[in-house]
Amino acid sequence: MSQANRRGLDPLSVIGNDTPRVDAIERVTGQAKFTRDWKLPGMLFARVLRSPHPHARIVSVDTSAAAALPGVVSIITHEDAQVVWGAGSINGGRQYNDPTKDATLHRRYIFNNPVRFVGDSVAAVAATDRHIAEQALALIEVEYEQLPFVLEPEEALADGAPQIWPEGNLAPDFRGNLEPMVSDQGDVEAGFDEADQIFETRYETGFIHNAQMEPRCSLASWEGDKLTLYTPSQGISNCRHDTARDLGLMDHQVRIVAQYMGGGFGNKNQNQDADLIAATLSRRAGAPVMLEYSRREDWLGVHGRWPTVQYYKVGVRDDGEITAIQMRAYSGMGPYRKNSGGISGMDYYRCPNRLREIHPVYTNRTTSGNFRAPSEPHGVYGVENMMDDIAYRMGIDPVEFTLQNVRRPTDDRPYTNYSLDEVIEEGAQQFNWSARRRSTPGSDEGPIKRGAGFSFMMFRAGLGTSSAIVRVDANEQYTLYVGVTDIGPGAKTTMGMIAAEALGVPLSQVDVVWGDTDRCPYSVGESGSRTTIMTGYAVVQAAEDLKEQIASRGMPSGAGVLIGSATPVPSTDGKVRQCFGAHFVEVEVDTRIGTTRILKYTTVHESGRIINPTTARDQIRGAVIQGIGQALHENLLYDPRSGQPLTPGYYRARHLTHMDIPEIEVTFIEVDDGYGPFGAKTAGESGIILAPAAVANAIANATGRRMTSLPITRDKILGAMA
Amino acid sequence: MRDKSKPGPSETDSSVNYLDPKAQSRRDFLEGTGAAVVATAAASSLGVGVASAQESSRSARSAISLTVNGVDHSLEVDDRWTLVEVLRDQLDLTGTKIGCNRSECGACTVLMNGQPVYSCSQLAVWADGADVRTVEGLALNGQLSPLQQAFVDNNGPQCGFCTPGQLMTATALLQDNPSPTAAEVQSALVGNLCRCSNYNAIVEAVVAAGDQGGAA
Ligand code: FES
Ligand code: FES
Repeated sequence: MSQANRRGLDPLSVIGNDTPRVDAIERVTGQAKFTRDWKLPGMLFARVLRSPHPHARIVSVDTSAAAALPGVVSIITHEDAQVVWGAGSINGGRQYNDPTKDATLHRRYIFNNPVRFVGDSVAAVAATDRHIAEQALALIEVEYEQLPFVLEPEEALADGAPQIWPEGNLAPDFRGNLEPMVSDQGDVEAGFDEADQIFETRYETGFIHNAQMEPRCSLASWEGDKLTLYTPSQGISNCRHDTARDLGLMDHQVRIVAQYMGGGFGNKNQNQDADLIAATLSRRAGAPVMLEYSRREDWLGVHGRWPTVQYYKVGVRDDGEITAIQMRAYSGMGPYRKNSGGISGMDYYRCPNRLREIHPVYTNRTTSGNFRAPSEPHGVYGVENMMDDIAYRMGIDPVEFTLQNVRRPTDDRPYTNYSLDEVIEEGAQQFNWSARRRSTPGSDEGPIKRGAGFSFMMFRAGLGTSSAIVRVDANEQYTLYVGVTDIGPGAKTTMGMIAAEALGVPLSQVDVVWGDTDRCPYSVGESGSRTTIMTGYAVVQAAEDLKEQIASRGMPSGAGVLIGSATPVPSTDGKVRQCFGAHFVEVEVDTRIGTTRILKYTTVHESGRIINPTTARDQIRGAVIQGIGQALHENLLYDPRSGQPLTPGYYRARHLTHMDIPEIEVTFIEVDDGYGPFGAKTAGESGIILAPAAVANAIANATGRRMTSLPITRDKILGAMA
Repeated sequence: MRDKSKPGPSETDSSVNYLDPKAQSRRDFLEGTGAAVVATAAASSLGVGVASAQESSRSARSAISLTVNGVDHSLEVDDRWTLVEVLRDQLDLTGTKIGCNRSECGACTVLMNGQPVYSCSQLAVWADGADVRTVEGLALNGQLSPLQQAFVDNNGPQCGFCTPGQLMTATALLQDNPSPTAAEVQSALVGNLCRCSNYNAIVEAVVAAGDQGGAA
């Protein structure tokens, strides 16, 4: 087995050893049951009819011909199924907050009129067979009155732009105020006065669909007033609560089952419109309903990373000290505010004068939402290309420039531990940075040019509340109940390893029950890189509870069991807790045809103690490869005249294939800062945060041209070289 | 170049050239796939633009016979059903996944007469008489194949949704080339996408299986 490089800590008895997934055999034999693999007696199949127009009022929907088709059981439209999808549009794009959802100005229903993007849901059909359901869609007659549309966020804010909502196109904050998100520190104008040089650049990034391999689907089934949803959810507890609220039920009336799921990368937190549509159809039809989205529907009807436009202005003194950073930015949210539209990265710098103003803007494109590190990769690309550019213009090595200006712990802002300098220095040395980078960008002779780029990151690893239950029987067999789903990173295995370590038993003595809200306690959900540290910490505490009981009462005998549980509220004692990383990449650009090849990719991360090195390594490698795709290929393009999406689907988004993949070198510097489960920190999102920035910096170093728009496709390179 | 759109029972003579990336590229798969199937999927995927919907919901049916993982089946199928639908819905072999249903991802890869094909882009009637092998047919008597074991040992699956397809293509590769290099594996698996982007680990697993003497 190829292993991650690790240094800093020795493995414990279970934790820290390369461990095959506890469910690996199910995954390689086809036994792992994904949502679409379930079959219930009498199950119907459902499909959704979607808007072909970017913005239109529905004048009428005639479902009579469709309803007459033999095999069609139920049809719902905006006229008779007015279910609010709370998580689909929230003031401020915040999550997990009922009051905010109640106060939300711009409600999204499961079917909307007007429809506001190509792919907005119009109607749904349940039938005895998926082909009949699909046939029925074609028989539904919809009369549309087309409305003017707008695709670009800056245009959407201009005078006279088509208005997507009555209050205009700036999406409201969580209080419902129509104001941009502003963060203002120090005095940015004074900072510019102090500067010797001022740099200004506009950066732009594209829409990246999550594109998880399993298209969205949901299987709904009612028994009386109890709803069971089999659905690929990254957060079964949140999904249950959201679904109950949206359907007017109590939490206990909803059961969510999500065990195996084909990835998510952030588009499956909470409930989804598919869950509400399937539940509504199932109730009307009186039978279980399996709703299936096609790949194209998934691409257009679900969501992806918000496209952004970022204007930076940075002041620097001749000694290399940054004196002011200002960013004004626009995030394209589509017509509904599903998530924040955030753009992070500026706060990596110590510079005391910082002004950030982000406008989350409604457009008639597909909805934007969370994708792995929702606010980071596009923001870090902008900031780090800005800084890299400044460093080269001033004749400074970008690594030196970073080390001079980066934000470090201070007395009034202490960290649990700080490793940024160490990961950067380790990476630079492993990669041989000084030899690989061109101190004069673009200086290679000839059309095939090489260069190297660097980027770094810090990302939250704060603690929070989650729950776990652990039970022991007379045979000393332990059962761990955790409300996680195994979306890919291996949470089921990781939770089992943490329990085994805390209990002092081998992993083989721990069974993990997961992915079912009727059987498992609350868990935070597989988002925000939180499962390992938050649910993992609850597992440690539940194990401690059980061990105390065993110590005082002895092991159970006969049919007896002992049960430990915990819902801890951990804190970091007011300290900042972050994980750290640095990436170094060498590229080769063929300037005759505009192609970019990755020659070497070196990553160094500090994510605290690593629970399972194999799966942690592959979180970093997979995230980096997704980041390379974001840097070089992926974007959902629209035709400006028709408002039609041009590049949905794996083929047209030009997703990377096996042939495009370099070997990603991963090193973990392990540290136990005394917080979290055995000192573990976040890992799942960290690898993608800095990958687009590092690749773009490398292309600039190779070509001598700063590419200010992602993805850096061949046409852009050819244009820059012309 | 091989045309993957119409592998029939008679197609036993052609072998896939895994060393030639073009022979396995996704573009060729797409271009070679029955254009009618792709066009139908594209037009109807948003439920728009299908002008010829019929009043009747019934489809013509045909009797076919299939051997799947060594078991013979005689079935009556809708002519519009794809092979993956028959495998999953009629034969309960849900290990084979549908990621795109239009020849873009490889999640649905099965072996048909020994060759990897996208079962989402094969009509079931085209498979009449074929010998089909799916992920459920890799382990023999409860014993994982060396390739499956290598996937377990090398963290081949992340979410696992692309895994059955990766395993089937790699099984075919190892039959032709028992000890492939990493570059040969990448070339052979180019038509199997992995959005978890676990590509490094998948290649490591296949190379490791090769070292152990092949998949068969
Ligand atoms: S499902 Fe067949 S290629 Fe994607
Ligand atoms: S393991 Fe998730 S798509 Fe490959």
